[in-house]
Amino acid sequence: MKLAETVPPCQAACPIHTDVRGYVTAIIRGDLDEAIKINRQVNPFPSVCGRICTRPCESVCRRAQVDEPIAIAALKRFASDQTKGLKLIQPPQHYYDERVAVIGAGPAGLTAAHDLALLGYKVTVFEEQNVLGGMLMEGIPEYRLPKDVVNEEVDFILSLGIEAKTGLSLGRDFSIEELLKDYQAIFLAVGSQKSLFPKCKGIELSGIITAVEFLKQVSRGQRPFLGKRVLVIGGGHTAIDAARTCLRLGSSDITIIYRRTLDEMPAGREEVEDAEKEGVNIRYLTAPVDFSGNGNVQKVRCIKMRLGEIDESGRRRPVPVEDSEFEIKADTVILAIGYIPEPDTLKDSGLILSKNGTVIVKDETGATNLKGVFAGGDVVSGPLSVIEAIAAGRRAADTIHRYLRTLPAKEVEKPLPFRPLDDSVVRLINKSMRQKIPTIPVEKRLNDFNEVDMGYSWSEAVKEAQRCLLCGSGALVAENCAACLNCVRICPYGVPVPGREIAEIDISQCQACGICASECPASAINLKLETREDGHAALQKMIDKARREAPEILIIGYYCRYKVPTGLPDESGICWLGKLCAGRLDVFQLIYPFELGVDGVAVHMCKNEECRFRDGSRWLLTHIERAKKILDEIGIGADRLDIISDGEDVSDFRKRLEALGINPVRKGEKAKE
Amino acid sequence: MIVAEIKPFGEIKDMLKDYKKVLILGCGTCVTVCLSGGERQVELLASALRMARKIEGNEITVGERTILRQCDPEFIDQIKYEAAQYDAILSMACGAGVQGTAERLGSIPVLPAMNTTFIGVSDGQGTWVEVCAACGACILAKTGGICPVARCAKSLINGPCGGSQDGKCEVSKDNPCVWQQIYAHLLKLNMLHFLREMSQPKTWPVHPRRLVKEQTKGV
Repeated sequence: MKLAETVPPCQAACPIHTDVRGYVTAIIRGDLDEAIKINRQVNPFPSVCGRICTRPCESVCRRAQVDEPIAIAALKRFASDQTKGLKLIQPPQHYYDERVAVIGAGPAGLTAAHDLALLGYKVTVFEEQNVLGGMLMEGIPEYRLPKDVVNEEVDFILSLGIEAKTGLSLGRDFSIEELLKDYQAIFLAVGSQKSLFPKCKGIELSGIITAVEFLKQVSRGQRPFLGKRVLVIGGGHTAIDAARTCLRLGSSDITIIYRRTLDEMPAGREEVEDAEKEGVNIRYLTAPVDFSGNGNVQKVRCIKMRLGEIDESGRRRPVPVEDSEFEIKADTVILAIGYIPEPDTLKDSGLILSKNGTVIVKDETGATNLKGVFAGGDVVSGPLSVIEAIAAGRRAADTIHRYLRTLPAKEVEKPLPFRPLDDSVVRLINKSMRQKIPTIPVEKRLNDFNEVDMGYSWSEAVKEAQRCLLCGSGALVAENCAACLNCVRICPYGVPVPGREIAEIDISQCQACGICASECPASAINLKLETREDGHAALQKMIDKARREAPEILIIGYYCRYKVPTGLPDESGICWLGKLCAGRLDVFQLIYPFELGVDGVAVHMCKNEECRFRDGSRWLLTHIERAKKILDEIGIGADRLDIISDGEDVSDFRKRLEALGINPVRKGEKAKE
Repeated sequence: MIVAEIKPFGEIKDMLKDYKKVLILGCGTCVTVCLSGGERQVELLASALRMARKIEGNEITVGERTILRQCDPEFIDQIKYEAAQYDAILSMACGAGVQGTAERLGSIPVLPAMNTTFIGVSDGQGTWVEVCAACGACILAKTGGICPVARCAKSLINGPCGGSQDGKCEVSKDNPCVWQQIYAHLLKLNMLHFLREMSQPKTWPVHPRRLVKEQTKGV
């Protein structure tokens, strides 16, 4: 195994290792094209994941040590919604003659098809249904995932030149053996959609339906009759989706029973809260015993449970409580207790199956017992999340490419997460609660299937992105460190320590305020994000812009992105350059613009108590003071560098500069001309 | 550590008025540690000089380099060829570094950008204090580890003088009387008896001094 790279915990936890920090910082910069590009590099379904991902990233976010995790999925959705229609295709470098068949057009199959098409293969997708998207299209209600969102991403994938054959079912219309005559490799991703039934008396009664079938019917526009009282059995996403769908179909008395507690529930906490807000009752520690009724189900006898020892799933096993049975009246019962692959699809395939009916694969590559046939997604793992299915699709595409090109197997790289923040650091980080995701009010939700979450506005998204602690993007110490220990003494978080030869900064704890870098006398500290070189390039770009826009008096301004999340408008001829905390501005960055011919430099700054990092503004003030002294000594004059306070009219600064005339450095240049 | 501070900008500018092409040479050890002559200061001074000269209509080309130490010829040799392209070298090292560079580079004028101030220790962030006079005959064993030669305004070795008041020096009320400090520290160490011994007049060194490590020299 390769030496693992250490990455932010969100990235390590994501099954496809999305560079979350990368796209969140792109959102901070307002560069949404970059944000979506980072997502699309690993994920053809950013709009889908931005809405329904189970978010393993958020559950490990280190911001939760301070207050609440970053709303990572909501930011992905924002980037994706704001860049609709943006085509970011890198055409394949080679085209190959081999043809690959993908069976199943769910997220796993379509992701594999997408990646294989981009690698240069001819891909055909076979889908049993008449629509593409699998469970995304039919298993998730529109109030969580609108169909046009799925369609748009599916259409984009197809636009890569992928052929789709719908209405064809494996085992019924074609076999793997036949496909292998025309295709050099097959990826099997038919999912896991057959519902399990509890072994209870009365299960055959009408009015007892499965959640997947129910959701499929609704997604096709059918409106099955449910009656007033509905009982949903299960604790996963599908159970919650089914219950909330029932509410929208007019049933008023909906109860979910789940045999464990909220803590063990596979459904997301927020979804559970939403369901409860909308009026769904949830009875935890409750299991069905039997169903009764006169042809149609009328009553469900239930039993109370308690949690016993930990079972093989790692959760505490529910155990029935004696003499605790009770009845719940129900006109319809919806089962959402588990799924297995459809047995008819696979029974004559020649594939080795487990006793649950899932396909057994040799290893992580997804190779099956049949040469050239690979499997992945829910058909192998049993029902998991969309993001796991996408990950399986990505692995499959890579494996198939290696198989067809006879390349060696990929060394598996499992990135390691940065360790948790030390308490001593956590204590010093300013709290900032998560931006609420705007939603349709509960009373307006139940009449239709309109999407409940409305997504962030631009300023909400940037504010939320700014909560990111930018794990691991802070200070790197170079070997020319003189071990002066200045960083050790000035770090507001106490992270640097004296090492044997040079100062050591634990990047897993560094908060990336940049104060040490701006004060390091050896210029030996650089920041991973917004490096010194990046800063110079951005400055040059801004000066060029200022020259184009206001050739007479050139003014550039620096501002703190944390103070002004969506930036300052370039007005009165001032071109603004944002910094991730203005405390990162060193003295050189304040005087160098004058050497480049700028006539004035404005610094928009916040009060120290507002500083995102404890001391940024205080250090900025000392840098400005030192820069002003140098400007006076040179003969440029300290007045050309000025602090613009929040709300101050920038045109006053411009007027003062106009009175001063052009920068004497430029005058010298002009005289020479 | 040697502590130095940068000369006033006007003085540096004046020193360089007749040169058109100057290399500013930083030193990566003591003067970097005391935040005076490292890479960052080189960058700032270079930019300031270029601008000041442009304003005067007398442009100057300024090169920027920092080496680990200017008191060792081997490090200076690292920039020998580069240095040959310049009219002068502006050294941001201590006086020792300036002289080391001047001697090694021979035909190129080497000018000091710094005033070398003292041998000192850190006294909190951004502050250094003189503690050693490099007298060549250390008496710290008898003075509780506090040097009266460097830290007494009169360099008395049998102090205090009569001007010490409330623990402060009569020369400057900002400075503590070092003999008061010595007394307090020896008291703490239970070594006050050292104060009963009269220190004999020191043999002051004859300049310039030279240190020879016989073992190493012979190899």
